[in-house]
Amino acid sequence: MLKTNGLTKKYGAFTALNALDLEIKEGDIFCLLGANGAGKSTTINLFLNFIEPTSGSATINGIDVTKHPLETKQILSYIPENLMLYPNLTGLENLDFFCGLGGKNYAKAELGVLLEQSGLQIDFINKRVQNYSKGMRQKVGIALARAREAKVLLLDEPTSGLDPKASNEFSELLLEMKAKGVATLMATHDLFRAKDTGTHIGIMKEGVLVEKFESKDVNFQDLEKLYLKHMHN
Amino acid sequence: MKTYILIAKKEIKIALREKLVLALSSIILVLLGISLFTGVISYQQQQKAITKAQDEKRKEWLEQGDKHPHIAAHFGTFIFKPKTVLSLFDFGLDTYTGTSVYLEAHYQHQFMFRPAQDHNSMIRFGELSSALVLQILMPLLIIFLAYASFTKEKERGTLRLLNSQGVTLTSIAWGKIMAYFIILLTILTPFILGILLLSYWLKTPDTITDLRMRIGLLGTTYMAYIFLFVVLSVLVSIKSSVSRNALLTLLTCWILFTIIIPKTMANFGEGLYPLPSMKIYKEGILKDKENGLDGKTPKAVRIAKLEKELLKKYKVDSVQQLPFNFEGVSMQAGEEYGDKVYDVHWGRLLNIFNKQNKLGSYVSLFNPYMALRNISMGLSATDLSASVDFQKKVENYRRIFIKKMNNDMAQNSNYGEFYEYSVGLDMWESVEDFKYKTPSIYSTLKKYVLEFVSLFSWIILLILLLNYITRKTKLNNG
Repeated sequence: MLKTNGLTKKYGAFTALNALDLEIKEGDIFCLLGANGAGKSTTINLFLNFIEPTSGSATINGIDVTKHPLETKQILSYIPENLMLYPNLTGLENLDFFCGLGGKNYAKAELGVLLEQSGLQIDFINKRVQNYSKGMRQKVGIALARAREAKVLLLDEPTSGLDPKASNEFSELLLEMKAKGVATLMATHDLFRAKDTGTHIGIMKEGVLVEKFESKDVNFQDLEKLYLKHMHN
Repeated sequence: MKTYILIAKKEIKIALREKLVLALSSIILVLLGISLFTGVISYQQQQKAITKAQDEKRKEWLEQGDKHPHIAAHFGTFIFKPKTVLSLFDFGLDTYTGTSVYLEAHYQHQFMFRPAQDHNSMIRFGELSSALVLQILMPLLIIFLAYASFTKEKERGTLRLLNSQGVTLTSIAWGKIMAYFIILLTILTPFILGILLLSYWLKTPDTITDLRMRIGLLGTTYMAYIFLFVVLSVLVSIKSSVSRNALLTLLTCWILFTIIIPKTMANFGEGLYPLPSMKIYKEGILKDKENGLDGKTPKAVRIAKLEKELLKKYKVDSVQQLPFNFEGVSMQAGEEYGDKVYDVHWGRLLNIFNKQNKLGSYVSLFNPYMALRNISMGLSATDLSASVDFQKKVENYRRIFIKKMNNDMAQNSNYGEFYEYSVGLDMWESVEDFKYKTPSIYSTLKKYVLEFVSLFSWIILLILLLNYITRKTKLNNG
């Protein structure tokens, strides 16, 4: 579903991402771990065509994201670290607007159900987003991914700053989507969440994917040791 | 198209929920209402005063009693400049060009009673006309409405989310432009309806030509100007990294367009093509009338030459033997020579005005505000050319009126007979009342080709630039 071949991004002499080869299949949750500046967000930005690669390619469902960005964006949903919505619109209005942009039209009641299923309290559905916590906004993001029937989820540290309960709810929602065959690429600092939710884990350092394995092959302690080893080297 | 509409609907919804936009829109609407109201009051008062004064002067003329036609020519009459109905929208130069002129033999008097003379020094900052609100304050509302259109999305992070839905920056930009344009049209709708109703209610069909076409063109031109500022504001917002920078850039453009460039150009034009003072101008005319345009043919020589020519033509020895009153003919000849002198001096003055105006027109290519200001005055018939046209027609009327008096004197009175000869009501009635009609819209449009080219070019350039930039811009920083 998601694939990169020698994907490289350079800013002058600085290499933000170096020859990344990656493949994420349907139902996979690939968690990218790494320090700040390791290249995690760069990878996601390249898939979103927010930036163009220096060399190599990234494809979604076999379609090159640089050549056909609008087509690939039709099947993905993106949730950044801090999902910012329009504060003067309600959660429901935000969802309605973004669904409309993706060509999905739902009745208000259906959107309300989607928000509720994504964990947003009913009382807040028709309140303006300026009153929402970060966790609530992330839930609107999940509702959007569901509404858009996204085949691919690109998540850039989506649980950063969330309280444990909200993070746990978020993980459950990801697993629900995984069961529906959604391929997920998640950049995160949260080792526990990566082990608990991810099917595959990659560790990045200075733009290079230095480790790649299935999460079932390691326990949490081993993962932590491996991560720290790379960070200290 | 669906994407534009969705974005536009969202923008309108947000704008309606933002108090600043509502407050600014209300202020503009109130100012437009006040300016329209004061415009109507001023128009009605002036129109009433002009009609009353014109009627009184006509009555005075008709009831002046029997007298010698040349005395009547000096008794003279007043002509009052009628207000055009569109002057309630754009006062233009009406405040400065005078409202009435005294017509008599031998002299081309200057226009009197400039409204600006009766106002305090604040008039220097311009009166609050609806045109001023739309030309200067409306762009400010647009700037406040749209300066953060993209920067806010960048700062909030919503632009990335929007773009990740497969929406191009170009679509986002046009959706926003559509929204702001709809908001502004909504604000302007009551005003436009008001103008239309007033134009038909107050119209003076004998004065202004092509009223419907003028209103239509005024509306279209102002819409183009508003659209231009919306696109400019959105474009600056796209190129700015933060809202503060966008606001500063746009306010700088606004100050340049509406204050610095027009004032600088006015001073520059005056410096480059200086006008003579009124004293020098009048003295020049007087001197040329006295000494002749060549400086060596004084009035006495000209009269003597005319006398000699006529005596020879009619083969007589004295003016008393001529089949007409030589005094009447010589007066008319003097009048015509005076007209010739006046035309030379007035032509020079007009030439300077035209050069100054042409410079303004060229500068308007770089300044859409100046382009709109000139077009608006032209279509409202309150510009310099309308004033000049009125002056020409008044002068032409004066010449016909004086010629009638002189011809009557030449044909019907005897040489040396002055107080003995008189005419009465029949003669006064034969001098028709002055009726004024503005130049046609086509002759107005011809004068403002550069201004129309300016607005059109600005719009095309901004659209091309917007499309180019939105296609090239990546969201790595947004």
